[in-house]
Amino acid sequence: MQVVFEQIINGLTIGSFYALIALGYSMVYGVLKLINFAHGDFFTLGSYLGYTLLVFGSAFITTHFGLWGGMVAAMLMAAMCLAFIGVLVERAAYRPIYPAGRLPAVVSALGASIVLQNAIMVIWGPRYQAYPAKLIPNIHLNIWGINITVLQIVILVLSFVLMGILYYIIQKTVFGAAIRATALDKDTASLMGINFNKVIFFIFTLGPALGAMTGVMVGMYYRQISFTMGWNYGLKAFTATILGGIGNLPGAMFGGLILGVLEMLGAAYISAAWKDVFVFMILILVLIFRPNGLFGEKIAEKV
Amino acid sequence: MKIMKHLLIVGIILCVLMPFNATAAEKPVVIGLQGPITGPWAYEGEMAKQSCEIAAQLINEKGGILGGRMVEVRVVDDAGEPKTGALAATKLVGQKDVVASVSTYGSSICEPASNIYEKFKKVNIGYGVTAVRLTQRDFKYFFRTCGRDDSQGKFFADSVPQKFGAKKIAIMHDNTAFGKGLAEDTKGALKPMLDAGTVELIYFDAITPGEKDFHVPLTQLREKKPDVWYFTGYYAEAALLVTQAREIGVTCPFVGGNAAINNEFVKIAGIDLAKGCYMTNEPLPADLPYKEAKEFLKAYKDKFGEIPSSPWPIYAADALNIIAYAIDKTGSVDSDVLAEYLRNDVNGVPGITGPIGFTAQGDREGVPFYLYVVDENGNIVISK
Repeated sequence: MQVVFEQIINGLTIGSFYALIALGYSMVYGVLKLINFAHGDFFTLGSYLGYTLLVFGSAFITTHFGLWGGMVAAMLMAAMCLAFIGVLVERAAYRPIYPAGRLPAVVSALGASIVLQNAIMVIWGPRYQAYPAKLIPNIHLNIWGINITVLQIVILVLSFVLMGILYYIIQKTVFGAAIRATALDKDTASLMGINFNKVIFFIFTLGPALGAMTGVMVGMYYRQISFTMGWNYGLKAFTATILGGIGNLPGAMFGGLILGVLEMLGAAYISAAWKDVFVFMILILVLIFRPNGLFGEKIAEKV
Repeated sequence: MKIMKHLLIVGIILCVLMPFNATAAEKPVVIGLQGPITGPWAYEGEMAKQSCEIAAQLINEKGGILGGRMVEVRVVDDAGEPKTGALAATKLVGQKDVVASVSTYGSSICEPASNIYEKFKKVNIGYGVTAVRLTQRDFKYFFRTCGRDDSQGKFFADSVPQKFGAKKIAIMHDNTAFGKGLAEDTKGALKPMLDAGTVELIYFDAITPGEKDFHVPLTQLREKKPDVWYFTGYYAEAALLVTQAREIGVTCPFVGGNAAINNEFVKIAGIDLAKGCYMTNEPLPADLPYKEAKEFLKAYKDKFGEIPSSPWPIYAADALNIIAYAIDKTGSVDSDVLAEYLRNDVNGVPGITGPIGFTAQGDREGVPFYLYVVDENGNIVISK
């Protein structure tokens, strides 16, 4: 029985990675109706920046901020860099072609993804990079026979805090209201005095920043990062977005968590080799019975 | 004025032609190297590239081959993917000046690539391709300088259970041509002991390469309580497996196959977890007693600072050397002549990894194995 709980906790850990990345996808889709394929690479880039900060600044960071403070500092710095890069990519790759419609934008997103991925390869090299081993203490806890590491707890807590903050921003602040209004109806929102470009600026800082923080957490958790990993995580997170209902933020969060847990349980009790098949089967079933995703709202037909 | 113009034109034509004439006699002999320059095995690819460059440099310093022609290495990247591997091979055979190819790390990449070389009649010598079936296809142009998985499996069965006094053995592979092959071969070699009941095979399963999360299979492994755990796969997964296994409380000794441990493994897993991890392996570069090895490693170290941390790059260098040797001895760059010569007349030619000779199938004759262990300082040394 303990093993089941252990697998569920493992599942929640990767599920929270998926959820945080999925939020970035979902926000962009909600406002621009654009699937931002470059998002997975924002995540990779964040992971590499965090790696550089931790490896080359580790002595400085840990003496000044303490161990966990150093981690948070690295995460925040990676997030700030990525917020900047996110806006840059939006300006360069998406903004010039909005008038051309949605399909060219998707192609441009794929292009941006390839550019980012190759840039990472050129800068850091094609080899795997390893997060410093000594930096992250490897403390095991045994709670009621369940094996869990301190790092897992930290990751889970941090992810939920981040999701909470984002939920608060979207639901309770004026910015959030502007984003939701634009997602509902771009033209009417503009007529109400909402600056469309500001909304885009906002989602392209917030999404990549979240992705970057996730990247640093993934780096700390698995300790090994590669320049191609964004694709895999991006795909899973995108699946989570659809599972929860695209454009729906709480949906993306739950979608990610559910996906992570399903994946782990599927691997444990059906077959490790078939786990992706299992995950996508569930996705297909959900889409057959609820085409808008688990939490998706019915979109009213425009007449 | 007109004469000036004519002179100018003639002059230009001469200028263009001259260097051609001058170099035609000393045109280098081009030998291809197909390896994983990018992708998950980029570290191995990089070392193989450097090794071949050093091997070519040493040949050239001694005056080249065929009476003074230099050897040039032309690298193509197969990214460690079967599909890209076939494309890389196509790219090399398409270049007329490439005589033969040192082709690749990873049995599952070599398999489609060697099909292409065979079809276009180019000698290709694998350097990190140990799956048994590669030489069971009656190919004419395929050879390898490395050993085979079945000899490694036999080595595991003969030495590892005794060393650890292990009764319950777990074997984990990664479903690649190499990993699965070695796992099956090891299982086969263990069969007499399994039948006699002296050891038990309590776990035999695969993980998915390229994954990062192995908590699920490792939890299953932990519940089986193995005495020793043999992983036949590559170092990228091996490092993650060891890290995550120790995290969830798998305490038994880890033994990797000959692709599981190198410096990169130690770096990713960290010395604390890497120390005490074992591997069955061909002799590492530093443990080679031969004169050629000393000379090669000195040149390598002078240029790149440290010697290769896995055996494969050295096999790549030997593959290049033996191709150059065959070209020099036969005086020909024709594939059929070279293949015939390598198969029948190469026997006990001194190489970096010892005397080189090929069987009728194209396998290397006689490769020894050792049990290696990561020591306190993160160095990979022969286990006592």
